[in-house]
Amino acid sequence: MLAKYVARRFLASLVVVLGVTLITLVLMDRTRGTYVPGIDLNPALRPEDIARLRADLGLDRPFYIWYLTWIWGVVHGDFGRSMIDGSTVMSHILDRLPNTLELTGTAILIGIVIAIPVGVIGALRHGSKADHTLTVVSVAGFAVPQFWMGLILILIFSVTLEQHGLPWLPSSGAYSAVNGGDFIDRVEHLILPATVLSFFYMSTWSRFIRSSMLEVLSQDYIRTARAKGMSERRVVYLHGLRNALIPLVTLIGLELPGLVSGGLVVEVVFGWPGIGKLAFERALQYDYTTVMGVTFFATMLVIAGNLLADLLYGVLDPRIRYS
Amino acid sequence: MTQPLLEVQDLHTVFSTKEGWVKAVDGVSFELHPGETLGIVGESGCGKSVTALSIMRLQRPGLIKSGRVMFKGEDLTKATEAEMREVRGREIAMIFQDPMTSLNPVFRTGWQVAEPLRLHHGWNAKKSLTSAINMLGKVGIPSAVDRAEDYPHQFSGGMRQRVMIAMGLTTTPEVLIADEPTTALDVTIQAQILDLLRHVNQEFGTATILITHNLGVVAGMCKRIIVMYAGRIVEAGPTTDVFAHPKHPYTWALLRSIPRLDAERHEPLKPIDGLPPNLVDLPSGCAFHPRCAFKIEKCSRDVPALQRVGDTQLSACWVTQAGTELKGA
Repeated sequence: MLAKYVARRFLASLVVVLGVTLITLVLMDRTRGTYVPGIDLNPALRPEDIARLRADLGLDRPFYIWYLTWIWGVVHGDFGRSMIDGSTVMSHILDRLPNTLELTGTAILIGIVIAIPVGVIGALRHGSKADHTLTVVSVAGFAVPQFWMGLILILIFSVTLEQHGLPWLPSSGAYSAVNGGDFIDRVEHLILPATVLSFFYMSTWSRFIRSSMLEVLSQDYIRTARAKGMSERRVVYLHGLRNALIPLVTLIGLELPGLVSGGLVVEVVFGWPGIGKLAFERALQYDYTTVMGVTFFATMLVIAGNLLADLLYGVLDPRIRYS
Repeated sequence: MTQPLLEVQDLHTVFSTKEGWVKAVDGVSFELHPGETLGIVGESGCGKSVTALSIMRLQRPGLIKSGRVMFKGEDLTKATEAEMREVRGREIAMIFQDPMTSLNPVFRTGWQVAEPLRLHHGWNAKKSLTSAINMLGKVGIPSAVDRAEDYPHQFSGGMRQRVMIAMGLTTTPEVLIADEPTTALDVTIQAQILDLLRHVNQEFGTATILITHNLGVVAGMCKRIIVMYAGRIVEAGPTTDVFAHPKHPYTWALLRSIPRLDAERHEPLKPIDGLPPNLVDLPSGCAFHPRCAFKIEKCSRDVPALQRVGDTQLSACWVTQAGTELKGA
């Protein structure tokens, strides 16, 4: 039953993968004009060289032929080579993926750990000063643009602190180029981008937990729990939270593609060598193959995230059955 | 007369609303004796549920303004929260109106029924579950061993109410408060649940407070009843006497509004005119006087106290206190 359900979901998601990658390709193809990826590296090329390059990259053919060729490769596990530097797309992705997982994984974890108590406190004391303060902070979290917040943090913690001779935090990269790469060094680099990213997650999820918890706490079974003589902590954190967290699972599942692309803005601002930054840079250079590879990867993660959330939903909520 | 097990004395519970304080329970006093079943009757919003919740100190956001709830020599309104937790679910258990929503949907039924044992007696999971399964069997759940593994949504409404009752009884409390236990159930199931409550009362000797708006329910279950209106007790006494000779016009009107087997065939049912009063803005004097067929001038001016009328009954009515019989109209 469950295996059948998963299989059906994956079949349905094929359509999504095809749609997303096709749209990405059409957008790149239509906006490219006569630009040939990588050509600015060699400005002295003759027209016949350029024509040969085009033919090599397959850009002289209509986009659908290119697309079908690409799909054929993907089906055989071949994502092709970058149009810019010639190394395989897969090696690019695998090279950047650990950095992105490190950043977004940390941010999601911090986001959850802070969002749950913040949301619960907001629900327990709704209408109080603490609740209003948390509301303002949360709204700021998704209202303030991430690039702006990132720049302000850099200004304060990297620039100003250094000017005053205080210990400061690095503003870009995942580790120091010279003598870097140990644990402390990586954590130092991680702090600022992870703060910006987790602030966003924390804001969204804490609002969500707050409203979900408010609803749960007014349920009859919470009154039953109190009438059984259990402590308020057990009522709230066992009987209440267990129910309130169910819908949050979907939300976090939807955030899973963020593991790949969600931190794009943050990665660009902080020069974080992750997948988001890769996609951003390569899109500007019309590196078809790399952008398509990352897009494919991100789409698969969206689908897997959704499916995982739905399956987890069934584990958390016994009322749900798959058919 | 035996020593009362539970004594509610002049209880006042209020709620704060935008329009002002609502006196949900306004000076309620009664006693509950060991092993008896006491009925509390009244329309929705008359304060019967809030009275019950106040005994358990679960009336939040309401506030117990004054009065005492004496239970085994201790005033529960003065008890600390920690002391109250020891009382709740251990000495006084409560079951609620809607069994569909009163069980936590994400935990296994057996686990929930066993929870009071783990909390109050510190039993381990296995021992408490065995006891819970035993209790589930006693309240009439077939193949209780298997059903304990099921989640609440896998039970019917009547079965869920049995589960609720089992959950209340695992710790063998001295008092069981049943707040409209049959209201949300089908009529045939209602009878089964009432049978069960009667059986529980006899087998375990649990004193029961049965809260209902259904006079038929109390008639079969309770030796004594209390009738509430607008937060106050308007009449109290042995069920047979109250039914035969109501001493308050509200009780009298309630009894006339339900169908009876011994009534004249063409006699229409007579609903009570008007609506229950707005608790924020109660009528002056007796709260029932705008709907009362017997009212005299004094009724709109002074609030009648609950006083002995006849041999066995108490009534808060100027008319019957003056000796007038309620008849006709």
